[in-house]
Amino acid sequence: MSLQIIINGFALGSVYALIATGFSLIFNILKFSNFSHGALMTLSAFIGYFVSVRTGWSLVPIVLISMLAGGVIAYIGEFVAFRKITLRQTSPVYFFVSSITLATLYEGIVTIWVGPNFYNYPRFFKSLVIRFGDFVISTSDLIMFISSAVALILLMLFIQKTRLGRALRSVSFDRDTAGLMGINVSGTIQLAFFISGALAGLSGVFLGINYTLYPQLGNLVVKGFIASVIGGLGSILGAVIGAVLLGLMETLLINYVGSGYAPVFTFLIMLVFLLVRPRGIAGINIQEKA
Amino acid sequence: MRKVFFMLLVVLLTLSMAASGAPKGDIVIGCLQDITGVTSTLGKMVQEGANWALNEINAAGGVNGRKIRMITYDTKADVQEAINAFTRMCTRDRVSAIIGPPVANIGIAIAPISENYDVPVLGFAIDDRVTMKDDGTPYKNMFLFQPSARQQGAIMANFAVKEKGLKKFGIIYNQANAYSVSLLEPFKDAARQAGAQILVEVPYQPTDRDFKTMLNKIVSAGVDAIYAPNYTQELILITQQARAIGFEGQLICGLDACPPFPALCGPESNGIIYINNITETEPQIQGIIAEYKQKTGNDATNKFFLGYDVMKILAKVIGEVGDNPVAVRAAVENLKGYQGLTGNITIDPKTHQTKGLEMVMHEIENQLPKMLKRYAVPE
Repeated sequence: MSLQIIINGFALGSVYALIATGFSLIFNILKFSNFSHGALMTLSAFIGYFVSVRTGWSLVPIVLISMLAGGVIAYIGEFVAFRKITLRQTSPVYFFVSSITLATLYEGIVTIWVGPNFYNYPRFFKSLVIRFGDFVISTSDLIMFISSAVALILLMLFIQKTRLGRALRSVSFDRDTAGLMGINVSGTIQLAFFISGALAGLSGVFLGINYTLYPQLGNLVVKGFIASVIGGLGSILGAVIGAVLLGLMETLLINYVGSGYAPVFTFLIMLVFLLVRPRGIAGINIQEKA
Repeated sequence: MRKVFFMLLVVLLTLSMAASGAPKGDIVIGCLQDITGVTSTLGKMVQEGANWALNEINAAGGVNGRKIRMITYDTKADVQEAINAFTRMCTRDRVSAIIGPPVANIGIAIAPISENYDVPVLGFAIDDRVTMKDDGTPYKNMFLFQPSARQQGAIMANFAVKEKGLKKFGIIYNQANAYSVSLLEPFKDAARQAGAQILVEVPYQPTDRDFKTMLNKIVSAGVDAIYAPNYTQELILITQQARAIGFEGQLICGLDACPPFPALCGPESNGIIYINNITETEPQIQGIIAEYKQKTGNDATNKFFLGYDVMKILAKVIGEVGDNPVAVRAAVENLKGYQGLTGNITIDPKTHQTKGLEMVMHEIENQLPKMLKRYAVPE
C-alpha cells in the first residue's frame, strides 16, 4: 500500500472529522441528527469568502470570522427551530423535521444570495505543496489537518476539564436531573449549538478552500453522519475515529475499486455497523430520538 | 351595396399590401438557454452574444426592413422545463428558428421531439446524439454550430501527439456527464491512431471532490500528460490537486479551460493546453470583448461568440429566403463558407454538423491564454 494513499486518506479523514464532530456534539446533547449542520457550513463559509474578497485578510482572521458567524447563526437557529420543541418536550420527530427545514432555509439563503454558481477562495498559501522526501502533501490539507487536530483537542479539553464542559456532559447524560442540580439547561444547549456552529464555520472554510464554494457544499454532511455511525453516534472521540477510518477507507476503495463503486462499499459498511454494532466503534449506546 | 363595396376595398388593399412585400412585423427568433441553472454561465453567454448581434443588426436597419425580436426561455438546466419551452416556441410563439443550448442532456431530450415540428434549432451541444439519430441520419431540425465531440476529441489528440510530441496519456473524466463522456472515445481513438498510448483511465462521479487518489494512480503510471475533458468547477479541483500531488506535466482540456478558468484556478493552470472556438488576440474579437466589458462589466467568453455568429447567420439566411421556418431550415442545411468570428462555417447536410471548422489551440502561460495554432480535424 502506498504511503501517499495513506497521507491522502488522513487528509480526507480530517475534513470528515470536523464535520462529524459538530454533528456529534448536538447528537450528544439533544439526541437527534442535526441535518442543518451541512447547510450551516456552507453559509458560514460564504460569509468568510466575501469578507476575504473584500478585505484581503489572511487565513487566520477569515477562519475566526467564519467560526464566529457559524456560532452566532447556530445560536439563533437553536432559538428559532429547536427551543420550543425542547421546552415543550413534544415528539422528538419534530427535532428532525425542524433540522431539515432549517437546512432548506440556510441553503435557500445562500442560493438567493450567491446564485447557483461556484466560487473559489483567494489564495492563502504561497506554495501549494509541501514535500517530505518522495512524498508530497498539499499545504491546505496539512493546515486543515493541524487545525482540525488543534480544534478537536481544545474541544476535548473544554468538555473534560472545565465547568461548562461538565455542564455539557451532565445535560447530555440527563437533562432533567442536570436542571434539578442547578445547571442552566437552555444556556448549555445554546453553548453546544454555538460550538457546533463554530466547528461548521471552520470546516466550511477548509472545504471551500479545498473543493470550491457552491450552495450544495453542505451535502458533505452525509460523510459526517456516516463517520458518526461508524464511530458511535453521540461520541465525539468516536466521530473522530470514524471520520479518519472513513477517509482512509474511501481513499483505498477509490484506488482499488474505483470511484464508481467506492460509495456503494462505504454505505454497505455503514449498514453493517447499524445492523451488527449500532453503538459504533466507541461503544456508547445512545438511543436516537429522531 | 355600399357595404359590399367597402369590403371589396378592404380585401383589395390587403392583397395589394401582401403583394408589395411590405414589412409583416418583427422576425421572431427563439433562444432556449439555461439562464438560472447550474450551466447558466454558458447559457447566459450564448444569450448575450446573440443579443449583441441582434442589436447590431437592428441598429443597421434590420433584415429587409424588419426588426429581429428574440424571445428567451430559461431551461433552468431542467430537461422538462426545456421541452415545455421548446414546444411553446414552436406552437405559440411561431418562431422562425431557435438558438439552442450548449448543454448535451437538453439537446438530446429535444432532438426526437423536434421531429414533430418544422423549426430549425441552431445549437452548440457537441454530443453526436443531439444532431444524429441512431441510424446515422440527422434529425431534420437539429444543427450544430461548432465542431462535434468526435471532431474536438480528434483535434485535441492530434495536436497533443503530433504538435506537442506527447505519447503517454492518463485520462480522468466524469462518467455521469454527457459532455465529458462524449469527448472520451474520440480522443482515445485519435491518439492511438497517431501512435500514442492511453496508460490509465479513471472515471469519477459528479459528487466527487477529492481527486488526489485518482490522480495519484494516473501520475504513478508515468504519463506525459493528463487528458481532462471536464466542466470548469471540476477542472479547477483536478488541476489544483494534480499540482498538489506534484504532477508537473501538461493537462489537455476542452473548452472549459477557456477564460475565466485561468483566473479562477490560479498559477496551477499554467501549462494547460486547451481547445477554443476563438482566440482573444484577434482584433475584431478584442474590440467586442472590450466594448462588452465596458458596457456590462462582464467578460465575453467563447459561448458569447457562438451565440453572436448564429444570430448573424440567421439574419443572413432570413434576408435571403424569408422567415418561414422551413425555408430557414433548408438554407441553414446548405450553408457554405460563412465567415464568422468562430471561423469559416459550412454545414454538412449529411450530419447537420460543421465541416472542416477549425478550432484554436491555446496554452495557458502566466494565467493568460496564448494562441498556439488553428487546427482542424484531418479529413
